[in-house]
Amino acid sequence: MGLTRLSARIVAARPLRSFLTIIGVALGVGVLSASLSLGARLDEAISRTVRDLVGNADLRVSSFLERGLSDATVDEIRTVDGVTVVAATVERRTFLAGVPGTTAGAVTVLGVDPTAYLELHPVVLVAGAPLARIDEPSAMITERLAASAGYVVGSELTIQGAGAPVPVRVVGIIEGGGPEAGASGRTVIVPLDVARAVFAPNGVTRVDIGLAPGVTVATAASMLAERITTEPYVLASPADIAAGLRASTADVRTTIGWLAAIILFVGAFLIINTVSMTVGERAREVGLLRAAGATRGQIFGFVLVGAGLIGLIGSALGLAVGFGLSVLVAGSVRALSGFAAPVEGLDVASLVIALIVGLVVTVAAAFEPAIRASRIAPVEAMRAPLDVSAVRRGRLIWLTAVLAFVVIIALIAWPPTEVSSGAGGALAVYVVLLVATLTSPFILGPLARIIGIPLSYLVRLEERLARGSFARDRSRTALTLGALVIGLAMVVALGWTAQAARQRATEWLADVVPGDEVVTSIRPIPADERVREALAGVAGVRSVSPIATFDLALKGVRIDAAAVVGADFLEDGRLTFTEGDRATALAALDAGGSAIVPASAADRLGLRVGDHISLALGTGTPLDLRIAGVVERSIPSGGGEAILVGWPDALGPIGVTGANVFAVRFEPGAAGTARPALESTARTLALEANPLERIQGAVTEALGRVFGLFDALALIALLVAALGIVNTLGMGVLERVREIGLLRAIGMSRSQASRMVVTEGLILGLVGTVLGVAVGLMVGAVLLSMSGAFDGSVTLPWSSIAAAAGLGLASSVVASYYPSLVASRVSIVRALKFN
Amino acid sequence: MPAILEAHDLTKRFALGSTEVEALRGVSLEVQAGEFLALMGPSGSGKSTLLQLLGGLDRPTTGSVVFEGRDISRLSDDEATRLRRERTGFVFQAFNLIPLLNVRENIALPFTIAGNDGNRGEYRDRVREVIALVELNGKENNRPDQLSQGEQQRVAVARAVVTRPSVLLADEPTGNLDYTTGGEILDALWRTCEQSAQTIVLVTHDARAAAYADRVLVIRDGRIREEITLGRRADHSAAPLIARLAQIGL
Repeated sequence: MGLTRLSARIVAARPLRSFLTIIGVALGVGVLSASLSLGARLDEAISRTVRDLVGNADLRVSSFLERGLSDATVDEIRTVDGVTVVAATVERRTFLAGVPGTTAGAVTVLGVDPTAYLELHPVVLVAGAPLARIDEPSAMITERLAASAGYVVGSELTIQGAGAPVPVRVVGIIEGGGPEAGASGRTVIVPLDVARAVFAPNGVTRVDIGLAPGVTVATAASMLAERITTEPYVLASPADIAAGLRASTADVRTTIGWLAAIILFVGAFLIINTVSMTVGERAREVGLLRAAGATRGQIFGFVLVGAGLIGLIGSALGLAVGFGLSVLVAGSVRALSGFAAPVEGLDVASLVIALIVGLVVTVAAAFEPAIRASRIAPVEAMRAPLDVSAVRRGRLIWLTAVLAFVVIIALIAWPPTEVSSGAGGALAVYVVLLVATLTSPFILGPLARIIGIPLSYLVRLEERLARGSFARDRSRTALTLGALVIGLAMVVALGWTAQAARQRATEWLADVVPGDEVVTSIRPIPADERVREALAGVAGVRSVSPIATFDLALKGVRIDAAAVVGADFLEDGRLTFTEGDRATALAALDAGGSAIVPASAADRLGLRVGDHISLALGTGTPLDLRIAGVVERSIPSGGGEAILVGWPDALGPIGVTGANVFAVRFEPGAAGTARPALESTARTLALEANPLERIQGAVTEALGRVFGLFDALALIALLVAALGIVNTLGMGVLERVREIGLLRAIGMSRSQASRMVVTEGLILGLVGTVLGVAVGLMVGAVLLSMSGAFDGSVTLPWSSIAAAAGLGLASSVVASYYPSLVASRVSIVRALKFN
Repeated sequence: MPAILEAHDLTKRFALGSTEVEALRGVSLEVQAGEFLALMGPSGSGKSTLLQLLGGLDRPTTGSVVFEGRDISRLSDDEATRLRRERTGFVFQAFNLIPLLNVRENIALPFTIAGNDGNRGEYRDRVREVIALVELNGKENNRPDQLSQGEQQRVAVARAVVTRPSVLLADEPTGNLDYTTGGEILDALWRTCEQSAQTIVLVTHDARAAAYADRVLVIRDGRIREEITLGRRADHSAAPLIARLAQIGL
């Protein structure tokens, strides 16, 4: 029999240990393959979404201001050299007559020049014909809208807008959900003149541009910059749009990536332990092989082949695990990112990478035990026990090397755009975990002694023997403990991050919204429509504050802005000022010429009270605003916090046409009766009313979806750690069979033997919980600091700590069940003969 | 005076792969209280199996073991555990100490298992007493790896007698020791018998060890072949026993 076959037989001789390790490798590889596949599939989905969005266009010029790009600007674009196609588009959200006025019932209307639009955006029709003329009252609708509302070719839709409702006839039905990613598949494409008649806009929302062959995007962009000088605009190429979409999913991808790396890291602990145990157990056999003439190289290969076998089976199984995980993870990511395109499924390249990584990590983890085995001298193996301190040193050194390897893999798997920003923080997290793991052998003894004190009152002998058994092989216990600590630390750290995020989101809304109810519109509502008055007229309503959210250009960068009534905020006590006088700043806002900035923007832009900012408005004259105050948090808008301006500036120079949000405050005690009346009034005005609590709940729910996914991955790390505990305790029982036999011979009962092992697991779980919580808080502090949320308002995550404690104890006690069963069934006579 | 330990027609069969091995083939014996009995025979004769049955570590296939007037051959696991904890003491060839416990803790282990504190009251006194008996004063806090092999085995003897068992069962206690150290262990065992009237059943294949006993049963092929009575002697010379064994052709 060759050494390779002997190696395989040794793996098979310890079926439970090999099985647990294979499962550990499979989980690590599974998460990694799912993570890598998700990245690849997301890239595909992003490419598809960009294709749907911009079609064959080479550039997209979007308006910065609500009034849109003027006809003059569109004409300027037409005259740029190399521009062959100019497709001007008006985009609005509205309702169709007869459809309930809720957000779910809204449609996105695109007003297009049929010829130019269809040249850049080829559509696949499942019925009917494309739009023909720019002024014909016709429409193409998406297949999904047609299916949900029962429209067919020839049906008549009535589009509601600023003017009188305009009827259009459906001439064609576009396959699937149409070109707009955020439209939930409910898009109506009408000729540009029809859209202008419905919405009466001043200009167009955007212009898609087709370039002549040989003209580069950079050349065209610089020429456009020379021509368009009167209006602020945003220029984006398909690559820019893809980068933006990629950035929107980067955080999730990054977090999943580093959780995968952590699980693989924890899996590496399990592998090192397993192979190391096998080498220790087989030291005599190795010595015998050496005595029989096996070379060091053969022994080295003998150990690596065994590990490689485990790695191969585990990695192969991991691909199946990865498929299941990819479906779960992709479902969550899809829900979070809003991608219509599917992101499920495994990517072949990712599978190959995950398989190789699984195999390499397993073999790398086995390297140190293999070297150790190859150095066993025949005589030494037959006589002396192994040098435990050398084993410990070797393991810890090798563990560091494996960690470095995992870090390299993590950096490879990291989304390239996020390397600079996220990698540093992740590395900091890794360092905390590494330090915790490397110091755990030294902390274990004293901590176990302290933790064992109360236990010793209940199970004196079992506690003493259990605690002592940790000292038998400190590095093995430390690796097991390290894995448990990392799993629990992840639970605590992610729980803390989630709690802080929820707390901040809830407090944020309560701090900045001057109302109990938020009434939203899908279009800006001019003051002359008297919607504010209508809402204020509802019995029980104390105040209605109009808010408009829009974009502004500051130093060429898009910033979020909101128009608010300063007096309303002053009266309602909203906004927490960190700089500037509250009353003066809010009064200055209503007087015009001033702005209030959130602390995050003030820090980013280096602004202080009294500074001035100059906003480009495209009118030739920039708007100069004085900073009247800095607030801790401002109104959420777009992707961040809005700079607050007064309504005089918004309606005047900025060109906002009306409010799209109304914050409604009820009279004290009147919410119960006023709320239904307000919601009824809102519905008649095509508005949607939501209590603040519901918005807070929706935010919390969205955060829960993200962190639920992360928690699930952290639990996988914990599961791998639990497998390690079974392995370590099982090995401990095996090593002590003779000892247990003796204890039984001198009067220890089966239940005492069983309790001894459970106590060992319990102490391991308790020590792991204490360290896991401590390390988790450190990691959490790093994560919160990275997001700027680690401040005095952060409270400790007691629920996560409790969950980690419960999981730590439960997993260690459950993991000790089987080894304890083995201990209780030890045959005294056989045990005393056991060597 | 009634016997403290009796075996009646004991047989023990083991399955060894597909074949069945008959380790004991109808063994009967009696051990008197305070007696030092040696079971002697070559390897594989069945003497260790007999000792395990006498001490309640294993059950006979047929026959019975009566310990202090009670049949212990069909005890439940809990009853057998209690018997081992309270009424018998074992010394094995391998010293079988718990490496992480010191001398005092190893000796007090039977008390600890029974839920008593070996550091308090009567239990502490008994531990001190047996430490003195096996001449390990001053080494109470040493761990097994800080002791010589002879000292380790003396700890094992102390642990076996600390509960004042009715019977001390020793299975080749000098098998792993050199001549001098083995002698120290046998002296220690004999002292317990002499000073405390401790009943001892010693399994050995060494005539020098068997010569410490009052009576020797020679076992071969699972049967008692010979009974040699030496009587209680301060002189443990093996010469009379060896002469007798030679006389009967063993």
